[in-house]
Amino acid sequence: MLAFGDAARLTFAQLRHGGRWDPRPDGLSRLSWEISKRTSIETSPAVKSIALADPELFRFPFAVLSSDQAFPAPADNEIAELRRYLSYGGFLMMDDASGTRGGAFEQSARQLVSRIVPGAQLGRVARDHVLYKSFYLLDGPAGRVATTADLEALELGGRLAILYSGNDLIGALARDSLGTWEFEITPGGELQREKSIRLGVNIAMYALCLDYKEDQVHIPFIMKRRRI
Amino acid sequence: MIALAGGVWLSFRGFRSEPAGYRRVALLSFRLTAALLVLILLLEPGIELRAESRVRARVALLFDTSRSMKFPASPAGPTRAEELRRWAAQHEADLAQLGSRFQVDVYGFDKELQPADPGRLPADPQGPSTDILGGLIAAASGGSGGRPLAGLFVASDGADNAELSQGVTQTAGAELRRLNVPVFALPVGAQALKDLAVERIAVDDFAFVRNQVTVDVVVTARGFGSTDVPIVLRREGQVVAQKTVHVDGSRTRYEVKLAFVPDRTGKFAFTVSAPVYEGEAIAQNNSRSFVLKVIRDRVRVLLVVGRPSWDVRFLRQLLKKNPNVDLISFFILRTPGDDPHSSQDELSLIPFPTQEIFQEQLKTFDLVIFQNFNHRPYRMSQYLDGIAAYVRDGGAFAMIGGDQSFSAGDYAGTPIEDVLPITLLPSGPTAVDETPAQVRLTDAGRRHPVTELATSGAQNELVWAALPRLPGLNTIGPLKGGAQTLLQSAEGRPVLVVGEAGRGRVLALLSDSSWFWSFVAAGAQQGPRAYETFWHSAIRWLVRDPALTPMRVTAERLSFEPGSEPPALDVQVRGSDYGAAAGAQIAVVTSSATDPSPRPMGAALAGPDGSARVVLPPLPPGAYKATATAKRGDGTAIGEAEDAFVVAPASRELVEAAPRPDVLQALAAATKGRVLAASDALATLPWRDPERVEVGQRTSKPLWDNWKVLALLCLVVGAEWTLRRRWGYA
Repeated sequence: MLAFGDAARLTFAQLRHGGRWDPRPDGLSRLSWEISKRTSIETSPAVKSIALADPELFRFPFAVLSSDQAFPAPADNEIAELRRYLSYGGFLMMDDASGTRGGAFEQSARQLVSRIVPGAQLGRVARDHVLYKSFYLLDGPAGRVATTADLEALELGGRLAILYSGNDLIGALARDSLGTWEFEITPGGELQREKSIRLGVNIAMYALCLDYKEDQVHIPFIMKRRRI
Repeated sequence: MIALAGGVWLSFRGFRSEPAGYRRVALLSFRLTAALLVLILLLEPGIELRAESRVRARVALLFDTSRSMKFPASPAGPTRAEELRRWAAQHEADLAQLGSRFQVDVYGFDKELQPADPGRLPADPQGPSTDILGGLIAAASGGSGGRPLAGLFVASDGADNAELSQGVTQTAGAELRRLNVPVFALPVGAQALKDLAVERIAVDDFAFVRNQVTVDVVVTARGFGSTDVPIVLRREGQVVAQKTVHVDGSRTRYEVKLAFVPDRTGKFAFTVSAPVYEGEAIAQNNSRSFVLKVIRDRVRVLLVVGRPSWDVRFLRQLLKKNPNVDLISFFILRTPGDDPHSSQDELSLIPFPTQEIFQEQLKTFDLVIFQNFNHRPYRMSQYLDGIAAYVRDGGAFAMIGGDQSFSAGDYAGTPIEDVLPITLLPSGPTAVDETPAQVRLTDAGRRHPVTELATSGAQNELVWAALPRLPGLNTIGPLKGGAQTLLQSAEGRPVLVVGEAGRGRVLALLSDSSWFWSFVAAGAQQGPRAYETFWHSAIRWLVRDPALTPMRVTAERLSFEPGSEPPALDVQVRGSDYGAAAGAQIAVVTSSATDPSPRPMGAALAGPDGSARVVLPPLPPGAYKATATAKRGDGTAIGEAEDAFVVAPASRELVEAAPRPDVLQALAAATKGRVLAASDALATLPWRDPERVEVGQRTSKPLWDNWKVLALLCLVVGAEWTLRRRWGYA
């Protein structure tokens, strides 16, 4: 049985910006597949590439902005649309495919955040945040590399609206046309890749369920398993 | 005085050198005598003569003439009033003797004080209430000729229902002491009375649903030996709490706390009752009713979700933001077919507590929402009957569409289908229709509060028409009778259907994309307001928010006294379009805890503003539920509303008629009087008897106003002058 088309499914919207906007072409569809196999979430294997100011963007509440290099500053109307998208419930994941701390993409991303919400800056996501327990119980971020020790985010209306990963999370999931992993994972190898997949699942689950796992009914179970 | 002293001093200075002592003494004596006489003339002294006589003090005798005196003084014995008349007859000589010593004022008292004749006390007293303290104060301040009060005598059963109803309180004690005379009390009917009474109930005017309510009950038991008495609290005939009080005769008052948890909102009539035992003086006071309004503090919503989706996410976010909603949600995050590549301990998942939420906790929710949830994988068939019963019993249920919902969720033929306003099809590939749907208001939807997004009808149509198309709809069978389609697609497929099942309300939204009316609409510069208004209104309608009830009935008072104005109900009727239903035919039936079958009690026609007043006939004592139904002229139903009220069993005078010798004992003690036995003579009591005289005649006789004083003054002055000349003083 299928849901009512793509509307009911989780479909990632890859934002097209003026730079290299799709550095890991297979990564997001691979994440969709993993989410679909591991959880009850229905996903669309196809990734929707979409321009920043495209009104269709509002049919895809989960947007991804990625690159391995700097990207040109979006126009003011694009910024306004992105602000509106995030204010009304949209979720934006930014992934630095370069995996370089303080790299060009990171600088572009931080400038973008400060234009979407003037004066705002990304802040560290605490380790006890619900994002780390929305499906898997995780102890921190993961990705193709381990450049940064924490995820960063911007909150709007009590929820994470922009999530920034500096570790090339999508790169950890990318496979080539033959189905083999595209990149080696450093320094943790396959264990770190599995952790990256789990983090991707948790991010999707958080985008769809928000703070569900902080409801009182879950707390005793989670506390007990955290102690194990 | 100073001038006189100065005159004496000047005179003394003139002869102080006189060698002969007798001359000095003589001259000084004459001058002093003259000065004294002048002083007498100036002060005008006199004598007052008064004729005095002793005044008789008064005593006031007060005899209870309230209706409680018609009750027997002893089992199968004469009434208290008759016993009092007999006492008065036996004490005729005693009263005469008292009258020889005091002015005796005799009164009858109940609610007020009135003069009485001890020889003609009423055999059938009709006083509507008893105010002992008021009677004593009025008798003390009244009386004839301002005579001093020697004391007060009161003969009563002590069944006060005014200031002494709670005994002699601190305030009442102070007022009694201010009388400043002893009060002698004769208890009437204090012996051998058997009566059990629910004397007092203390409970708040309103309570919160699902929060414990405690009812404080005071039970009085007189003439009982060691007995266990069950005290039962009923809500409209159904027992909600019960406790047993052990009565042992050592005291008369017992306090009981009855606690219960109201499980639904509304106004309900409750009754606290104790059994009526053989030989009891009064049966009517063994039960007492009250009305309690049960309200909700927050709407408690159970949201059960088949899988995370954007529809789920936007609804959860909306409900969590609403401070009036207490949201409990359960999401199926992993199905049996999913492989998370981990052990259970690496997951944050919890077991789906079906038994706890659908059996133990179900009644604690105001609204249950199934959002794209298929019950089959979770072995929930055993709970579906309970969910349907919960709805019929007044709960609210909403089913939201998706590929695991309605027909696609395999609910056809289940108890859930029984309460839905629609029929379902067997699960299969046709259970969902992915043809996009542009929603439109139906006729019912134009008037219904759930689909009212704008105040004007035209604007409302425009708002709905402008919302984004939904990507698909669940397929269903025909609608059931009484169901209302509020929204449908352009080609007529139902989108939103509402209805009622028993006392509950049900909503079926045949789409899993109402979030389009929020986020996608925001992308089209419309904002999420339509989505938020729709869901807030839907929840309020589902849980019967009073503001969204088209018809209301309100009893004029919570409790009606028997014999006073008959019970009256104010009815307000609005049609399904929430406009005043002018000319609606209103019929009222009542049922009570003892007679649950509805009895027609009145009818009326609604006025131009949709309101009407229905006056009911006099009703026997009890707790009542009034149900008003309204119909149009053509017989079609408009609506129904309920309210609860109480008709008190009788006036307090008759309900609280048990003798209260303790009250008489306390007031006697507070005034240093005492409680009398029937044989005690009034004439020999230690009345205060204050000494007081009355002045009959008064005469004054001046002492200075005669010629002798003046002659003596001239003589003294002349003698002094003569001696001074003779002895050589100027």
